[in-house]
Amino acid sequence: MYSDPANKTSSRFDGLLADNTVLSALMVISPVIMCSDTLRNAEALIYAFSAITFISVILCSFVPRKLPYAVKVIIYAAIAALVYIPVKSLAQVTYPGIVSRVGIYFPLLAVNSLIVFRGESLFYGVKKARMITSLTFYILGFDAVMLVTAVIRELFTYGTFNSHMVDVSPTVSGLGMPFGGFILLGLMCGVYRKVRSALRPASDAEERKEGSDVSGN
Amino acid sequence: MFLVTDLLVLLGANLILVQALGISTIFVAAGNRKNLICTAMAITVFTTIGSAGACAVDSILPKSAADLRLLLYVIVIGAVYICILTGTYMLNRNFFESVRRYIHISAFNCAVMGTLLSISGRAYDTVGGIGFKGYILGGLEAGFGFIITALMLLAAYRKLNSSKVPASFRGFPAMLVYLGIISMAVFALR
Repeated sequence: MYSDPANKTSSRFDGLLADNTVLSALMVISPVIMCSDTLRNAEALIYAFSAITFISVILCSFVPRKLPYAVKVIIYAAIAALVYIPVKSLAQVTYPGIVSRVGIYFPLLAVNSLIVFRGESLFYGVKKARMITSLTFYILGFDAVMLVTAVIRELFTYGTFNSHMVDVSPTVSGLGMPFGGFILLGLMCGVYRKVRSALRPASDAEERKEGSDVSGN
Repeated sequence: MFLVTDLLVLLGANLILVQALGISTIFVAAGNRKNLICTAMAITVFTTIGSAGACAVDSILPKSAADLRLLLYVIVIGAVYICILTGTYMLNRNFFESVRRYIHISAFNCAVMGTLLSISGRAYDTVGGIGFKGYILGGLEAGFGFIITALMLLAAYRKLNSSKVPASFRGFPAMLVYLGIISMAVFALR
């Protein structure tokens, strides 16, 4: 399911399409389901996720790799929680009202699995330049999904685009609810897989084989 | 009747179906019964003990320093994480080897951190707070909610992963849609 930086076939651009942060790796999925009902929310979350993840992963890459795994995980989470403080302060100025509307999902961005768990295998074993490019594309992967989900949900839930009225009828109010987020994300995940298998048939056939193994258990 | 009411309350406050927390973990855990039980147990332990720690943090943290809450929660969960790892290691090496992966998965899970933040928010919104007991019950409730949803997912896991489902939608996409439908039913009950 995840790309391995040591694997020569994995690319530094994987985070955007081949191993998308949300649709493939299923990371940071809760804010997308719960808070991506308007473009304004999405902008605030994209800003927070991008800033916190980028700075935290860069800082975490300096943590000695010889430390025990549990200690490293705690340090990574603590670094992200520290980075969260100035990011939140800036968000309260830039996106007034959104931070309180997003609620617990704003701080939860700081303890996302891309920083706390996956960073170790995705970013820390490679050179800094490659790490930064790869990290940027993983962040862009989340940003793209967040943006697309928010546009679809805002358009079909409220009939607006970035708070401007658009002639869409009929609107589906349930799409703005959490269950609407689940269903839409599930459908997007399926479409994403279809597109990916069309672009990379060999690797996807392998994944499908793995999937059938699971069902056969 | 009380049991039905309690079940509805648990479903209504469910951290996965209502708050979308811990989804990727439950997908991994639903793969087999042992994984499911161990992960659900580990998450319940973390949410319950973590809630006690969150209660302590909330009682000493002044409002002016509210931004430090997340960092302090991370320290609390980190301490619980180390204590549980050390405790199981001292108790029995074989037991430690068999459960440590579940402890690693559960510690900094967003289900755990999200539960602490939710309970803290609930305490803040309630006049007079919810007290230590309220925090502990909130943690336990979240753990049981996770178990209930995991059981629902386990029931459909094979079918959602079977070859009858189109390849692109097999597995996670189908499970997300399935959870969405259950979530819709839960919202109707609320």
